[in-house]
Amino acid sequence: MTRADWLVLLLAIALLPVLYTKYWGAGGPADRARIAANGQAPLEIPLSRNQQLHIHGPLGDSVLEVKDGRARFLSSPCPGQQCVHSGWLARAGDLAACLPNGITLSLQGARPRFDSINF
Amino acid sequence: MKGLLAARASRYIGFFALLGVLALSACGRAPEPLHQEQVLAFGTLVDISIWGTDAASAQQASAAVISTLNALHHRWHAWEPGPLTEINTQLARGGTVDLAPDQIEVIRGAQALSRQSGGLFNPAIGQLLAEWGFQMDERPADVPPPHPDAVKERVALQPAMDDLQLDGNQLRSRNPAVQLDFGAYVKSYGVDQAIAALRAHGISNAIVNAGGDLRAIGQRGGQPWRIGIRDPRGPGVLASLEIHGDESVFTSGDYERYFEFQGQRYQHILDPRTGYPASGAMSATVVYPGGGVGGGASTALMVAGPDNWLEVVRGMGLKEVMLVGADRTVYLTPAMAKRIHFEIKPEPKTVIGEP
Amino acid sequence: MSETVHSTRDDHRIAWLTALAISIHIAESALPSPLPGVKPGLANVVTVIALIHYGWSTAAWVALLRVLVGSIVIGTFLSPTFALSLAGAVASVAVLRLASWAPVGLFGPVGYSLLAALAHMAAQFWTAYWLFIPHEALLHLFPLLMSAAVIFGTVSGVIALLTLKGLRAGASP
Repeated sequence: MTRADWLVLLLAIALLPVLYTKYWGAGGPADRARIAANGQAPLEIPLSRNQQLHIHGPLGDSVLEVKDGRARFLSSPCPGQQCVHSGWLARAGDLAACLPNGITLSLQGARPRFDSINF
Repeated sequence: MKGLLAARASRYIGFFALLGVLALSACGRAPEPLHQEQVLAFGTLVDISIWGTDAASAQQASAAVISTLNALHHRWHAWEPGPLTEINTQLARGGTVDLAPDQIEVIRGAQALSRQSGGLFNPAIGQLLAEWGFQMDERPADVPPPHPDAVKERVALQPAMDDLQLDGNQLRSRNPAVQLDFGAYVKSYGVDQAIAALRAHGISNAIVNAGGDLRAIGQRGGQPWRIGIRDPRGPGVLASLEIHGDESVFTSGDYERYFEFQGQRYQHILDPRTGYPASGAMSATVVYPGGGVGGGASTALMVAGPDNWLEVVRGMGLKEVMLVGADRTVYLTPAMAKRIHFEIKPEPKTVIGEP
Repeated sequence: MSETVHSTRDDHRIAWLTALAISIHIAESALPSPLPGVKPGLANVVTVIALIHYGWSTAAWVALLRVLVGSIVIGTFLSPTFALSLAGAVASVAVLRLASWAPVGLFGPVGYSLLAALAHMAAQFWTAYWLFIPHEALLHLFPLLMSAAVIFGTVSGVIALLTLKGLRAGASP
């Protein structure tokens, strides 16, 4: 076997776990956060870069944090604070919403697993 | 020498072209004609997905949905002054109200559902909801729950949908304690109107999701719409299902509206028999073809809890029901068990209930 | 007036190799398969040997004729099975075309065989998915099928490698 043969074999074997996570993962790893604020086009950001976002809503700014491949509501001007209590979202399909401020945060995997979520 | 180099270069170009083709085959799909929009309407977040139309017509259609929902929100709002508070004022006085045809439709529909649910879905308990502070946009924190005597008093008045008498378009109540608050039921009505508005715009593939109450029609490019049902105790999805044709998926949950006082959680779905928040279930999901009964059914199932849910299933003629009990046991009808797919590991404990 | 069709040495070679590939193809189609689409694909051995010994165009003829004639013999000509085999053969031939542009000796039989097997399986799968069964559930099969392709592609490649060694050993003394 030539060196290139080994390389092809290794690449082929390396491809398999990728395929298994992509097509078999139950709520597999997420790579993007989708932020929808009332009436604005949804915003998609990669989870690979740590950052804080200030999203404007009817009550004021909600602060969203992306860190180490996860995302959460850091703070929100709503009275209930349910969105903040949802904590870190890490898997595709996870969702946190601040209804009073009209902002939802959901995580997306390689392809959207759900067209709509009954929350 | 030059020729040899060129030949070798062309070989390497071929090799890299191969790599390029392999890379392309992994991600070669055209963007989909999918329009998704999320707006605050109807007092909740409304999620609209439209497939297979150009962006401009999709935008027009969803604008029509939003204005339909906002009009209904005003028309059926239980505490902001409007048509429903006027009706409630008259009913409390023992007076008579002239109803418009759509109001008759909603009230008659709610009466029928309330009867079928054995009174567990009871939109006549507006007074109790107000007593608990669930008739305001944001209940202030640190307000205690009502005094037990106050609750007992309201329950003893026994407001019920059958107290209402409709004579032609004239509505009156035998019981002045009846105060209408349609809650989730008017959401099912609204979602149905929204789907009708989309169809009037020539759209046949769409989802309208009004904060956990959704109806989906058609498909997403030859594939069924996939719906995730939220885990009542976590940010993830508990289970999912695929939509066949035109179906509604309605979920009521104790996580939707609640307040906490001294460590105790009080949710917004009240048991009309006791006057206290229903405590047997965390969430209830109903799936059924077309539109109609959704909100009333999921509310009644929440009240019934694991002890009485099958009576509601029978009484309301439901086929596909999932109830998540307070201990996280999942109760399923056989038809629901067939199509639901759990998305959490380990899968929850399930109990199949034969209706 | 008569016309004589002259057949070249190439034609004979292609015919013999194709006949061999077809017999393997038919023998395999009689084997029970644990999953739809999972077959050892040993006919690939012939394609790879043809590629290394006689070049890409012979290999391409052998691969495509094998699918065409093989399907007529088995009776699946123009059926969905045929469409899938054809898509697979076209894809593997195309990938081998690109791979054979690489400097001579870069890839051995195992490399060619693996590339061909992966291309064959992927093309077959996506043809099945888009043309016949566009169902989500089918997607779950994809990783399994590709795993099978890696295993059988390697096995076929090793068989081709050993056969070529045997051929050379038989030719040299």
